Amino acid sequence: MAAQKSYSLPSFMNSDSSLPWLLPLITMLIVFAIIPFFYNIYLSFHEFVPAKRALLFVGWDNWIRLFTDGVFWGSLKVSLYYTFMCLLIQLVLGMGIALLIDSDDPGFGIIRSILTLTLVIPPAIAGMIFLIMEDANYGLIPWLLKSVGLIGPEDTILADPTLALWGVMIVDIWQWTPFMVLILVAGLRSLPSEPFESAVIDGARPFQVFRRLTLPMLHKVIAVAILIRGIDLWRMVDYVFVLTSGGPGTATYTLSLYSWQRFTFVQWGYGATISLFSLIVILIVGNAFIHFAKVKW
Amino acid sequence: MIRKILAFSVALIFIFPIFFLITSSFKNNIDLFSLPPKLFLFDIDFSAYERVFGFSKLLKFDPSYGELYLTSRILDSLIVGIGSSSLTLIIGIYAGYYISRANFKYKNFLIMSILSARMMPLISIAIPLYFVYEKINLLDTYVGLILIHTFINLPLAVLLLKSFFDEVPKQIDENAFIDGASKIKILHKLIIPCAKGGIAVTFILSIIFSWTEFICALMIGQMKIKTIPIQASIMKTIPSWDMMAAFTTISIIPVFIMILAVRKHFVRGLTLGTVKE
Repeated sequence: MAAQKSYSLPSFMNSDSSLPWLLPLITMLIVFAIIPFFYNIYLSFHEFVPAKRALLFVGWDNWIRLFTDGVFWGSLKVSLYYTFMCLLIQLVLGMGIALLIDSDDPGFGIIRSILTLTLVIPPAIAGMIFLIMEDANYGLIPWLLKSVGLIGPEDTILADPTLALWGVMIVDIWQWTPFMVLILVAGLRSLPSEPFESAVIDGARPFQVFRRLTLPMLHKVIAVAILIRGIDLWRMVDYVFVLTSGGPGTATYTLSLYSWQRFTFVQWGYGATISLFSLIVILIVGNAFIHFAKVKW
Repeated sequence: MIRKILAFSVALIFIFPIFFLITSSFKNNIDLFSLPPKLFLFDIDFSAYERVFGFSKLLKFDPSYGELYLTSRILDSLIVGIGSSSLTLIIGIYAGYYISRANFKYKNFLIMSILSARMMPLISIAIPLYFVYEKINLLDTYVGLILIHTFINLPLAVLLLKSFFDEVPKQIDENAFIDGASKIKILHKLIIPCAKGGIAVTFILSIIFSWTEFICALMIGQMKIKTIPIQASIMKTIPSWDMMAAFTTISIIPVFIMILAVRKHFVRGLTLGTVKE
């Protein structure tokens, strides 16, 4: 009895109520998600006025400015392009590499370990690595591209309006293709082998097997990979911050970077409006994706 | 055999930038800028490391960058990482266990809310939080940054821990419950020991994601607190490649060690517990 006594807890924690178990979590969600969300809405109707040194109510001004701002539309386009292109390239490359290294051979285990490494590098640091490698004068990548004649001798990557975004995307593709590979390999390894054996006996070609068996059976794994990668691509800010700071001009502003940049220019209300826009888009798209792709947790 | 060669060359491509970075940190300034690059045959030079650790004294640089700043940056990252992961774990264990075991009315809604929290662009949290923190004096404090990183890691921790608790047979709970144990005691005495591997994995992954987080650390930390990614972005303005390389090399080694320890569960962590390896 004495031993039990020493372990006694406040009585409300022994109750069947869900509250004590979930209270800390719900508090965190309210403080860091719900309150910032409403504060963002509040900010989007206010703006800092330098002359009066105060945050004043400006009505719909920020929202009107948002939809008439060319830089905003440009950054929206960059964010969309970046998200879709990276997602597509990483998915296709990732699937290819996953099929390649899906094997019980111990050598392939080492490859999977190697691929893990890129994923834990802080993105800002990955940006630094490529900043060195993409340097206009001494960088490895421009030198390689020049020697095979893909870009002219005077071209630079990160200072060129059309190439700069690809200069950023290459970092993302390098760092996060292994994410797809590892998830897809895990999916492939968990598939049962019987359907594949019988398909081979029936004389199906490898591509048919892939399309009719592998893809449908991997549906859930692919959906999860797309969802999580898509979320992170949409809110990406580290790479552009380090590599181009949005430049040249405004060519590589993503929504998050533009929002941050407006914030540092003391346009607090407008910065909040941009971030709120980006938040609403991902909440709608993300939750719709979870619903239609039937991803379950 | 061809397949193996192909697979290894793919791995080589992905490892190459890391290899290039580490070798760059040992090059002198002539080899560093030579094209074609000297990948293997270069004179090994430790001067970058000496300068990274004792930076301001040797170069008489602006003291606002701080003396011994690499050591203090690593310390900042460790304090924030371990602090936020511990808090995440405490909150995550109770919530994860409850979600794993109980059936309650708003369970699906709660899970969707957790996932929605994971979706939030971090800038949309950081801007309003900046003003809130300013009012309650949490800007540029460890507590402020630990709290926001706790929130960032919570979706991962709760859902991942739930998936680990799901694997512990419910029979254990039921038997203990019939014997008269309270829920909280079942969790502490039976379930946590069963799932301690999963808890360790969650802890390490939380540290890693706190270590790599950028935009909130940038906005909440100001002068006193700079985590490693922030310091890296500042170093961009110092045109010294060998120091950049030495700094980044040192800063990624801890995460490499951590990840190789939990490699088996990494995919599960990345997918918030849905895809198991």
